[in-house]
Amino acid sequence: MLSPFRSFVRSPRLGRLIATHSSVNPDEISHFSNLSAHWWDEHGEFEFLHKMNPVRMTFVRQKLLEAARDDGTDPNPAQVLANLDVLDVGCGGGLLSESLARLGANTLGIDASEKNIGIARQHASTDPRLAPTSPHSSLMYQHTTAEALLEQPKQFDVVCSMEVLEHVDNPASFLSTCAELVKPGGHLFLSTISRTPLAYFLTIFMAQDVLRKVSPGTHTYSKYIKPSELIQFFETYRPPTPPAPVPSLRESVTLADSLTSSARPWITRHSDTYLPRTQVDVRGLIYNPVFGNWHLAPKDAWGSLECNYIFWVRKPKEIDS
Amino acid sequence: MLACRRLARPAFSRIRSLSTTTEGALTHENCDVVVVGGGPVGLALAGALSSSRVVGDNLRIALVEAGDLDKIRAWQLPSEKYSNRVSSLTNTSYAFLNDIGAWSYVQHERTCPVEHMDVWDGISDARISFDAAEIGTVSQNEGMARLTENLNLQRGLLHLLEKAPGVDLIHRTKVTSVTRESEGHGAWPIVNLDNGRRLRARLLVGADGFNSPVRAYAQIPSFGWSYDTQGVVATLIHRPRSAYEGPNTTAYQRFLPTGPIAFLPLSPTVSSLVWSTRPHIAQTLQGCDPSVLACMINAAFRLPQVSLQYLYNRISEAQATSTPLTPQQVQEEILWRETSHGIDRHSAMSASAAMGDAPIGIPPVNSELVPPLVTSIQAGSIASFPLRFNHTESYLGEGAGARTVLVGDAAHTIHPLAGQGLNLGLGDVEALAKCIENAILQGSDVGSYTALQPYARERYLTNHTIMAAIDKLHKLYTTDFEPVVWARSTGLEVVNELDSLKAAIMMTAGADGGKSGITAGWDMVTKGVETLDSAVKVARAVGGGIGGIVGTGVQTLIQRVSERTRA
Repeated sequence: MLSPFRSFVRSPRLGRLIATHSSVNPDEISHFSNLSAHWWDEHGEFEFLHKMNPVRMTFVRQKLLEAARDDGTDPNPAQVLANLDVLDVGCGGGLLSESLARLGANTLGIDASEKNIGIARQHASTDPRLAPTSPHSSLMYQHTTAEALLEQPKQFDVVCSMEVLEHVDNPASFLSTCAELVKPGGHLFLSTISRTPLAYFLTIFMAQDVLRKVSPGTHTYSKYIKPSELIQFFETYRPPTPPAPVPSLRESVTLADSLTSSARPWITRHSDTYLPRTQVDVRGLIYNPVFGNWHLAPKDAWGSLECNYIFWVRKPKEIDS
Repeated sequence: MLACRRLARPAFSRIRSLSTTTEGALTHENCDVVVVGGGPVGLALAGALSSSRVVGDNLRIALVEAGDLDKIRAWQLPSEKYSNRVSSLTNTSYAFLNDIGAWSYVQHERTCPVEHMDVWDGISDARISFDAAEIGTVSQNEGMARLTENLNLQRGLLHLLEKAPGVDLIHRTKVTSVTRESEGHGAWPIVNLDNGRRLRARLLVGADGFNSPVRAYAQIPSFGWSYDTQGVVATLIHRPRSAYEGPNTTAYQRFLPTGPIAFLPLSPTVSSLVWSTRPHIAQTLQGCDPSVLACMINAAFRLPQVSLQYLYNRISEAQATSTPLTPQQVQEEILWRETSHGIDRHSAMSASAAMGDAPIGIPPVNSELVPPLVTSIQAGSIASFPLRFNHTESYLGEGAGARTVLVGDAAHTIHPLAGQGLNLGLGDVEALAKCIENAILQGSDVGSYTALQPYARERYLTNHTIMAAIDKLHKLYTTDFEPVVWARSTGLEVVNELDSLKAAIMMTAGADGGKSGITAGWDMVTKGVETLDSAVKVARAVGGGIGGIVGTGVQTLIQRVSERTRA
């Protein structure tokens, strides 16, 4: 049922931006900073997230594999993430980032909470495969925000932001920031909670108030976002024209990219009931309280998008054919 | 030659140099999976992991064993001699060993299919029999199960590991202690070896048997009891079955009130014994001359309980006075008891013909209802071990014992009457290897509780169901309480008619290699045993009169199942 969040705040040095364009909510940051010591307790506050992680990873691998096959390549299913540049926005203690890095992705985890980044680095350092001293390590953490990364020219093959969207103040600005960080032809993965009575009942009433599995204050109902709203956003989304909402230092090359990529919206729908398979997918994440595990709902399963869900959208390639 | 030998293990030295880290004054090597225990279960896990491409590309695996694995790798016996530790591998286990490529390294001609099984009650003589041919899916020569020497299997697994390197086999080395690297969630265990090496384990696997040091480190409690029963094993030599009889591929088991005695075929003239009995009787039997033991084995499959009890006492008293009975004296005693029971000397039920000039030619009527007469016992093959029931509360370590997992006897120990011990262990291994592979594909930390939970979830209840059923069977059949015996016999006879039911039970023996049916079958067994329990209570209440026939029928099923699976 719930998933705690990953948060997202501006580092002090970016403080001047907070008043203007930040989607980060300072209260959210301090909430998660206070819980940061519990990130790696698999039976504690973040148990739901630990259990959800394999299911999220399964979805990510599945979509990348499908996309690669659509592109006409035949990748080794075990190495579909290998050598991709992946950004994990709101990485928290690094649950998802570690998994991505183990599968060979050059992973950058960012979080607005310095404490979270500290925990994530410390945890990775105990794992010989991930430790920064290891020659195989492909995992980096940085205390920063997505907006701040936009100021650099780098874009990513895959951008993930799991259980973050329901914690940000300005979701539209946050989404466009994430979108701009994706390379043309790259992938954006989001998971969050829908704004439905069921979601309220499960993630706030049960999880926080009754079962106390999640700290009160973790979730705010009004911040929840419906899948249809995400789909609508990417149907109408156009990259910000030249100077992005955040003063941009990006090079002209990247600007050109975004101009060409605007040739078509990310999602082109021809009917209300059909989602183009090669552009977008949304699947419910269902928690089974009896077995204490999550699973990915089958496509289009009735009612499966009423609570937690995961969303994938692919950025159009340059000069769309 | 020397150079070749050096080259043969390049993986190890490379791994060691790459991953050796200094921690204070001590250095350790990082490993992803450390398996403690080089028995069949530990080796099967190493073999299953090394046979998976995904695992091989991602994990460094080490196996630690105190014994000498080179001796097992070089193990050889003349074709007529057999080791006394034999397991009956179900078709499910066989399919798994085949999948990981191990079976091709097992010496096939030293294994024997069980094509038929005969089980009967020592008190009522009620009998059930099972035939592999009744299961449509079984192909010729496959049988319901396959009797295999543990050493043959271990040697095969070692050869598999040789062909698929990647596992660091550390043998002739003891684990001196397991320590925790640090405080905090998910701290890594460090395995300290008596050769000075220290292995830092992402995942520590306890395949280290009943007294598992890994379990002790993980502080996983277990519950169980000792059965006050000793299992006596031996390799038996007998005459081949005649041309008028079937081949020696029938497993026999007779439930005596002191415990079941089982005869497991290995070759036309050699079979294996597992005789569960009271510790004092086991001591008596082990203390006598092997040829006296041979006589007693023949008698135990044939004579009524009262005479067996007399013989145990007679031998025991003679031993106490340091005038042990000679084989001739025991034969005379047996002959005398047979006469008083009205057993014809030339019938199949006579145990006294064994030593004498046994008739070659047309065998007596019903000679296939009992095993062939044992003529001698392979030298040095008699041994015994205590039987117990034990199940841990969990298969996964938590908190201070994080990053540990138990498989095989370290997690569960059962009565051998159904021959399921090794099969349960191999089932664990198959599930754990699959769980580890899935975790790798999801980028999970294979030592984490979350990654291992599917393994525990898949195995715990399955094992518990089977163990409970076997435990209940043992208790049911070691009583001579009249109403229970009556219920037993009725149940057996009833069930024998129910061919369809029999087929269902046979499937639980793993005959179809399918998995889902197995637990269902054992569930049925457990329920049947429970119903039997209540039937027995009814029988008791009405003075042994009209019990619940239906209930006993079910119970019979149970027994059958157990028998089946023994093979």
